[in-house]
Amino acid sequence: MASKDIKGFYRQTKKKGGGGAPDPAQTPALIAHGSLDLVDDYGEEEERLRQFDMDMRYGPCIGLGRLQRWERATAMGLNPPPDVARILQRPSAALECLWDGRV
Amino acid sequence: MAEDAEMGDGAAMLFHRKQSIYRSLDERYEIHGERYRGQQYSQIYFVRLHHMRNLLRSLVPKWKPNMPVNTVLGLEEGKECILVGTLYKHMKLKPSILDEYSKERSALPLAKPHNFIHHDDHLILEDESGRVKLSGSVLAPAAFVTVALHGKETSDGDFCVQDVLEAGLPPQIELPIGPGEDKYVVFVSGLSVGSSEFNPLQFQLLVDHITGHLGDENEQSIASEIVRLLIAGNSVQISQGLVNGQNIAPKDHSRITEPLKELDIMLTQLVAAMPVDILPGSNDPANFSLPQQPLHRCLFSGASAYNTFVSSTNPHQFELDNVQFLGTSGQNIDDLNKYSDAKDKLEFMERTLRWRHLAPTAPNTLGRCYPYTDKDPFLLESCPHVYFVGNQDKYETRLLEGPEKQLVRLICIPRFSETGVAVMLNLRNLECHALTFSTNLEC
Repeated sequence: MASKDIKGFYRQTKKKGGGGAPDPAQTPALIAHGSLDLVDDYGEEEERLRQFDMDMRYGPCIGLGRLQRWERATAMGLNPPPDVARILQRPSAALECLWDGRV
Repeated sequence: MAEDAEMGDGAAMLFHRKQSIYRSLDERYEIHGERYRGQQYSQIYFVRLHHMRNLLRSLVPKWKPNMPVNTVLGLEEGKECILVGTLYKHMKLKPSILDEYSKERSALPLAKPHNFIHHDDHLILEDESGRVKLSGSVLAPAAFVTVALHGKETSDGDFCVQDVLEAGLPPQIELPIGPGEDKYVVFVSGLSVGSSEFNPLQFQLLVDHITGHLGDENEQSIASEIVRLLIAGNSVQISQGLVNGQNIAPKDHSRITEPLKELDIMLTQLVAAMPVDILPGSNDPANFSLPQQPLHRCLFSGASAYNTFVSSTNPHQFELDNVQFLGTSGQNIDDLNKYSDAKDKLEFMERTLRWRHLAPTAPNTLGRCYPYTDKDPFLLESCPHVYFVGNQDKYETRLLEGPEKQLVRLICIPRFSETGVAVMLNLRNLECHALTFSTNLEC
């Protein structure tokens, strides 16, 4: 019985060319999407914040919240970019640096 | 304040102890507002470099006009310029945590050398962009100090140093012109109650003398001019074997509490007579890293009942009749001794003032340090009038004069349990002398 099920499964795969693919004729891998294969789980805003994290002018980023680091930079007269502070006000912004929890 | 009644020939002379206005400036050394979030020491070095760099850059035009200031990455061979950064001394003998993982462990001596100096040591300058090895006969001072260097890059890729600029003594508030009367501050350190060197009679002599219970009228009138006592660290010594984390048998409990109780009894006698500041030291029951937080009041059930009892941080900064005091229990100066030579401890003290940093080797080797993220509390913004360091081998003092008319009384306070020496400072003219107590009948 079990082997019959497995064979049936394989037959399905051969016919369809991809387990559970929505369109049997066109597999997603063959369609050129015009963008990077690897889609990261963060958007442009987070990218901007990561650039801020990595900017050495404002010192190391580990162990400091992003907003706290921005405020420290302002207090030290380093003129950090105001758009970073604006992004950090939004609820979608991650408040910790990119290494948080990873190091 | 307490009155010192005369004991002696019957004439009732009452001396009133003089008072001074005291203000503690220890907020910068207190840690209660800080939250640890996993940061490392890179933050404190960044803050340190930033402050010192700004300061040094402002001093450079006056030092070498028309000389460009570069970064390490922007160095060009043969072109003279100025670099501003932190010095790092690469020392072969400095213990490294990585030695524990080294396969040739048995080849290394197990005993750590007391002094790390080796003839192969070389200096490196690090700024915000990179590091460069330094050469040249103008030897720069010890490590972790931020300086400006004038020189040029050689073909080896080294930076050959021609001249060095340190931050120099910070500005000083002018010494207030006093009322003209003598007022004294007594400094003592290294009481080491509970140690084998501790001599209770010697300590009692000190207590009796400064509270005015000894001597004739002259002695007592001088004692009444003592406005404050400062105890600079290492007041107790609890045997190491008892505090290594193992369970202690009930019969041993008293070995831990006895020294503290004994100290409290003596302190109570002192605080009943005058204001007393007590600093934690390396042997005291306080945190290990700098800045050490004040010894807890519960350790001194007797003395803490008095409002003259002040438990302070280490380092300790305060103002007495507008005279600025700053000092430590000795750890900062002792650690500098490992990195370089100086003819005496006073020279190390002078260097820390000229570098505008109390503890340049923190957090590198000096007992760690709290990993601050937005400040470096050891940076000196203003110059004290009195700079003291406790737990030294002997009493030494010097009056340092700065280029902008700063005047600093440097004091090395010796360990009392070993020397029986306390130090007396006159607030009026910053003059200093030693008070020696001995119970030795042969002296």
